[in-house]
Amino acid sequence: MSLWFTLFKKEWLEMVRNFKIIWVPLTFLLLGSMDPLTSYYMPKMIDALGGLPEGTVIEIPYPSPPDSLMMSVAQFDTIGVLIIVLITMGLIAGERKSGVAAMILVKPVPFGFYITAKWAASLLLMWLSYITGMLASWYYTGVLFGWIPFGEFLTALILYGVWLTLIMTLTLFFSAVFKVPGLAGFCSIALAIVINLVSGVLSHRLKWSPALLQTYAGEYLHSGEFSAGTFPSILLATAAIIFLMVFAIIIFRNKELSG
Amino acid sequence: MELFFEHYALFIPLIIAQFVLLIVAIIDLVRIEKTNGPKWVWALVIIFVNIIGPILYFIFGRRHD
Repeated sequence: MSLWFTLFKKEWLEMVRNFKIIWVPLTFLLLGSMDPLTSYYMPKMIDALGGLPEGTVIEIPYPSPPDSLMMSVAQFDTIGVLIIVLITMGLIAGERKSGVAAMILVKPVPFGFYITAKWAASLLLMWLSYITGMLASWYYTGVLFGWIPFGEFLTALILYGVWLTLIMTLTLFFSAVFKVPGLAGFCSIALAIVINLVSGVLSHRLKWSPALLQTYAGEYLHSGEFSAGTFPSILLATAAIIFLMVFAIIIFRNKELSG
Repeated sequence: MELFFEHYALFIPLIIAQFVLLIVAIIDLVRIEKTNGPKWVWALVIIFVNIIGPILYFIFGRRHD
């Protein structure tokens, strides 16, 4: 176990050294606070800059607190996912290219340790950033539009966080499979988009799809009750995460041993 | 502008966040050996492109190998 912690600490130290531990949470913070602020100030800004032409009747309504929070989640679902994929895709592929992986793996380090330590460090960084962003959005939503009870906010945070965790694991999986970081990133993004599209179009059929967790989080905030597909999709996401990790280790071991 | 001064306290965390990003990116740029593309271009990007400049540097400017 102490060997695993050594590997984990190495990953963590690397994230501190290249400042990921600072800039990723800050990016999420800015991302999360953007939407509540712009939707509050946009009507006022239009007024301040001379207003709309005489006679135009456009009412820009303020979003409800859950809507405001879910707008930030939509930001995390696009730009946030992109950032997570970009910082995760090189973790294994990059180390293999540069030879660091070989240097570590000549020592008696189990392949499983090597990959799970990377996964745990990325998981920590991702949740730290995501929670920072969500808290920012929750705070600005509360100040500007009305407070969402903290318990409900936390539940919604966890629901959507499961999907982000799945995306991160998927990227790490592709990073173990391919030698080129860009290819790993492209595959993860492409797959995430396809899953999102298919789940969106066939949402009544694929109630268990983890991509719908974003919708379920929103529905929960509005109604205070879990939608029918919530728990199946969490279960499926968890199963997929375990499955991806196991296969990442198996494929990585075979590749390293054969070449 | 008075609109913003009215609620200026709201923007303080964001201004701090942006400032920290800028500083950290500059420190990293000074310490790093090589970047993708010329260093001085990245310095300009970090300083003059608001908010996303430092983020762009961290994602695309650092050379990972």
